[in-house]
Amino acid sequence: MKRTASRWPSLMIIVLGLFVWKTISLFYLPVIFPGPLELIDRIIEIYSDPASFRVVGQSLTRIFEGFLISMLAGTAFGILMGLNRAIEVFFDSWIMVLLTVPSVCWAFLSVLWFGISEAAPILTIVLIVFPFVVMNIWEGTKALEKDLIEMGRAYKANRPLMLRKVLIPQLMPYIFSSLRIALSLSWKIALVAEAFGAGSGVGQELINWFQDTRVDMMLAWSVSFMIVMVLIDLVFRLWARRVFAWRPQFAT
Amino acid sequence: MGASRICLEAAICNLNRTGSTRFFSRTHTTAFALRWPIRQAGDAGPRHQARARRHQHEAQRTVMAQVIMEQVARPGAVSLSTIAVNNLTKRFPAPGAESSFTVLDSISLSVDEGEFVSIVGPSGCGKSTLLNIIAGIESYESGSVTVAPRAGKSDSGSRIGYVFQSPRLLNWLTVQDNIQFVLEAQNIPRSRWQELVAKHLDMVGLSGQERNYPLNLSGGMQQRVAIARVLAIEPDILLMDEPFSHLDAITARKMRLDLIDILTKARPTILFVTHDLAEAVFLSDRIYMMNAKPARIFNEVPVDISRPRKPEDSKILDLEKTLVREFFGVLEAKD
Repeated sequence: MKRTASRWPSLMIIVLGLFVWKTISLFYLPVIFPGPLELIDRIIEIYSDPASFRVVGQSLTRIFEGFLISMLAGTAFGILMGLNRAIEVFFDSWIMVLLTVPSVCWAFLSVLWFGISEAAPILTIVLIVFPFVVMNIWEGTKALEKDLIEMGRAYKANRPLMLRKVLIPQLMPYIFSSLRIALSLSWKIALVAEAFGAGSGVGQELINWFQDTRVDMMLAWSVSFMIVMVLIDLVFRLWARRVFAWRPQFAT
Repeated sequence: MGASRICLEAAICNLNRTGSTRFFSRTHTTAFALRWPIRQAGDAGPRHQARARRHQHEAQRTVMAQVIMEQVARPGAVSLSTIAVNNLTKRFPAPGAESSFTVLDSISLSVDEGEFVSIVGPSGCGKSTLLNIIAGIESYESGSVTVAPRAGKSDSGSRIGYVFQSPRLLNWLTVQDNIQFVLEAQNIPRSRWQELVAKHLDMVGLSGQERNYPLNLSGGMQQRVAIARVLAIEPDILLMDEPFSHLDAITARKMRLDLIDILTKARPTILFVTHDLAEAVFLSDRIYMMNAKPARIFNEVPVDISRPRKPEDSKILDLEKTLVREFFGVLEAKD
């Protein structure tokens, strides 16, 4: 029997936060520090224009492409590093190097190499998120249970079956944590990369409004985009609940 | 009879030069010999001659193997043990030390078809390693392990089932999926899965639990699922590594009785490892006693008590008393 936590405290904090925000905004021009209501007006203004949806769509496409490539390649590579000693030893230092290069550096380099194009933001995302996913999954392979692998071998299970039913399910917690963090990293990197040179997308909008010193428009774009990302994260959380349904539910 | 049996086993040991637990590898069947025609040595250059000679030798070996199999299949012929272990030695490289340390030292044992044989020894003496080697998941340094092929088929190994000390279930799969995992691993056709799962869960008394997850079951129930899992593949040989040692005495006793019950329906050859002499006496037809560090077999005792056996039967308790004195005598003398 679960005792659900009362919702009131979090609601009250949100309402309090809104009040504080409104009070501070009274001291500034709406374009420098908008209050909550002004922000909502700006957001409605943005989305009454159908062209905005295309802009958001472009950004989302780039984010998903970069995210998907990083996750798929990263997971596969992480598993490979975990299961093959030779590959692990060889690529260990490479992955560390990739991880430590600052993201801004990659953003600029991508623009220089690929110009204003679709590839630049996607490449930036992959270069930053891929090594992170590899590290995560690789750690996961170090925690694989030897007992279960022995059991699989005793029953003569072949490699594909072992991967499907024994190895990857054990990596699921690592895959899921990588998934959510990789997504949040991806969209932040995408916006920065777009700002530096993609010619279109939400990041481009941000830098345009920045050049006009329109904080309210910048915030409007950011917040609305953030809401989309939060919704997608919610989808991941629901999916995780299904994947981990086998865990015993303890009464809180 | 003894001499010819030894000759037969020696002949097969010779064939078994790779130390594999398969009786014959796939290529050594008559079909292989027939697919590759043997050219007569002398009608081509030296490399071709050498290859032709190799093919000839393989064909001869195959023919010899066939002859042996036919000998075995004849009614009244000498029968091979289902499991034969001869002078098996296993060493682990010791970390840091120059020399490795010997885990198993010249172990020899045999199990005949349908027999229930126990190995009793203290924990950590290498009993699990021995079972792992027989199951084919660990290698060994010298000696041989022979596992007879399935009755009627000379080119496929026996189905070996392994029950571990802990249930080793896949916790993210339902009970049903856990059993289906091993059915898939053993290449059993999908059409039979539902029937096998239902039948064997019923055999262990867990009929309604198909869609439940392992972590929602008690330890005893999990071990019963593990047993249903191993029986579902309808194994010819069952290897059991102290399957009841992690359970409390009451559950363990019930499981032993259930095991005997189940085994009246299907009678695989069983090699059972335990540290509990009483359990061994109750369950088995023959007991091997094993010492530790390095593991050696120091005694072999038949258990000639008729089945069905009651756990409190006086014959069992008497035998146990005699054996206990002997067993702990040797174990404690060593210390």
